[in-house]
Amino acid sequence: MTWPWIAIALALVIWRASRGLGARAQSVLLPTAVGVLIIAVWRLLCLVQNEPIFPTPEETYGGIRELVVDNTLRDYVIASLFRVTWGFFLAALVGIPLGLVVGWSLRAYRALNPIIQGLRPISPIAWIPISILWFGVGDRAAIYLIFLAAFFPIVVGTMAAVRNISLVYVRSARNFGVEGVELFRRVVLPAAMPQIITSLRIALGVAWLVVVAAEMIAVDSGLGYLINDARNMGRRYDLVVAGMLAIGAIGILLDLLIRRLERFDEVRWGYAGR
Amino acid sequence: MTTSSESARPKVVISGVDKSFDTRAGPLEVLTDVNLTVHEGEFVCLLGPSGCGKSTLLNIVGGFERPTSGTVTIEGEAVTAPDKRRVFVFQEYGIFPWASVWDNVALGLGGQPRDKVIETVQYYIDLVGLSGFEKTYPMELSGGMKQRVEVARALAVDPDVIYMDEPFGALDSLTRLQMRAELIKIWKQEQKTILFVTHDVDESVQLADRVVVFSERPGRIKEVVEVGLEHPRDLGSPEYGVAKNRLYELLGVLHTI
Repeated sequence: MTWPWIAIALALVIWRASRGLGARAQSVLLPTAVGVLIIAVWRLLCLVQNEPIFPTPEETYGGIRELVVDNTLRDYVIASLFRVTWGFFLAALVGIPLGLVVGWSLRAYRALNPIIQGLRPISPIAWIPISILWFGVGDRAAIYLIFLAAFFPIVVGTMAAVRNISLVYVRSARNFGVEGVELFRRVVLPAAMPQIITSLRIALGVAWLVVVAAEMIAVDSGLGYLINDARNMGRRYDLVVAGMLAIGAIGILLDLLIRRLERFDEVRWGYAGR
Repeated sequence: MTTSSESARPKVVISGVDKSFDTRAGPLEVLTDVNLTVHEGEFVCLLGPSGCGKSTLLNIVGGFERPTSGTVTIEGEAVTAPDKRRVFVFQEYGIFPWASVWDNVALGLGGQPRDKVIETVQYYIDLVGLSGFEKTYPMELSGGMKQRVEVARALAVDPDVIYMDEPFGALDSLTRLQMRAELIKIWKQEQKTILFVTHDVDESVQLADRVVVFSERPGRIKEVVEVGLEHPRDLGSPEYGVAKNRLYELLGVLHTI
C-alpha cells in the first residue's frame, strides 16, 4: 500500500508551496491538501483494522459510482432537496412576518416570546411521533419536521434583528413623515435584512441537518433513507459513507448559494468588516 | 446675518422645560427650568459639557421626547410629535445604509409628483456637492459625504427649522471646517432656522448668531451669548477671540490649562 504515503507527501508539498501565495490560491490549495491528507490517513487506518469496521476509500468510491450509475444518488438528492426546499420556504414564509411583528410590537413580544422560547428547545426529532400521527408516513411528515427545524432560527433571528434596529433610523423615518406600512417596507425590513439573511442561512443548515433524521423514519427515498436502508438491508457501509459524503457536499453548496444573498447592495452594509 | 433678536419673529419658544428620567437609582434630573426663544432665520448653538442635557432638549423640541413639565411651541403650536416641517440631522449617521444617495435624499418626498421629486432631489444633491454619487451606497462614501447626504435629505423637505445634534462630531477637523463653511452658505441661501447642539466652543463661535451655554447636569441655561460677528468670520480677529474667551469663562475652563 504505497499510494497513501505518496498522497501524504503530496499534501505536505502543497502545504509548503502555498506559503507566500495569495489568499485566493491558498483558500483552494490548503483545503485540498487537508482533504488529500484525510483520505490518505483514512486509508492507512483501514490497514490496521482486523475486521472490517469502516469501509476503505476505494470501497466508498465504488459505492458512490454504484449510486451514480443507477441514478439512485440523483433521485435521492432531488427527493431530499424537495423536502428541504418546502420545509425551509414554509418556515421563511411564516417565520419572517411573525418575527417582524413580534420584534416590532412590544406587546406581541411580551405575549409570544416566552412561548417561542419554550418551543424552541424541543428538538424536531421529538416531534416525529406527532408528525406521523398528523401527517402519516410520507413527504408531509418529513416536510413538517424540516419546517419546525428551520422555523425557530428564522423567527428568533428576525425578531432579534428588528429589536436591534438602530433607534436613529426609526426616528429619522418618523421625522420625515414615513409611518405605518411604509415604515415597515422602507425602514424596518431593510434595516433587519442583513440579520434576517444570517438567520435564513442558519435555518437552511439546520433544515439540511434534520432532513436526514426525517427521512430515516417517515419516507422511503432521500439521502437519509439511503443511509438507513444501506445499513439495514445489507450492511453496505460503503453506501452509508457515500451518503454521508453526499450530504456534506450538498450542505456546502446550499450554504454557498444562500450566501450569495449577502452580496446585494441593499444588505452589504450589514456585513462590513467581516 | 446677525439678526438682532428683537426684530425677528419668535419661531421656537421653550418655556419652563424640566426633564427627568427614571433610572434604577431613582429619578435623574437632566434639565431644569429651560426658557429660550429662537427667532425665525436665527442660527442658535446649544453649548455645554457632555451629559448636560442639550441633546435631550433638542429631542424634546423635535417631538421625540416629552418634557416632564413645561412646554415647547413652534409658531404658537405645541410640539407633541416629530414633524416634517422641522427635521433632524442626526449625531450618528441617520441616513439609511441600504438605500442609495438618491433614495436617501428622496426619503421625505413621498406623495409628491414624480418630476417634482426628481427635480428636488437632484437640486439638493448638487447643492451639497454630491453630483455623480446619486447611485452610490453610503458604505462607499466618506464620513463627510455621508453627512452631506444627511444635510441634503433634510433640506429636500424644505423644513423651516433644522435641528443638528453634533452633526460634524465624527469628522476630521479639516472636513469639519469645510462642512461648517458650507452649512453657513446653505443657511444663508435657504433662510432656515437652525438649532445646533455642540460641545465645541470654536464650532459655536464660528456658526452661531447666539450661543446658549448650559451648566453641567442638571442642565440649565447659564447664559445666552450674542456672537455679533458677520459671516464670513475672521477666525483671527480680536472680536472672535473675545467671544471665545467669554464662552470658555462661562464653561469654567478659561486659563485652566
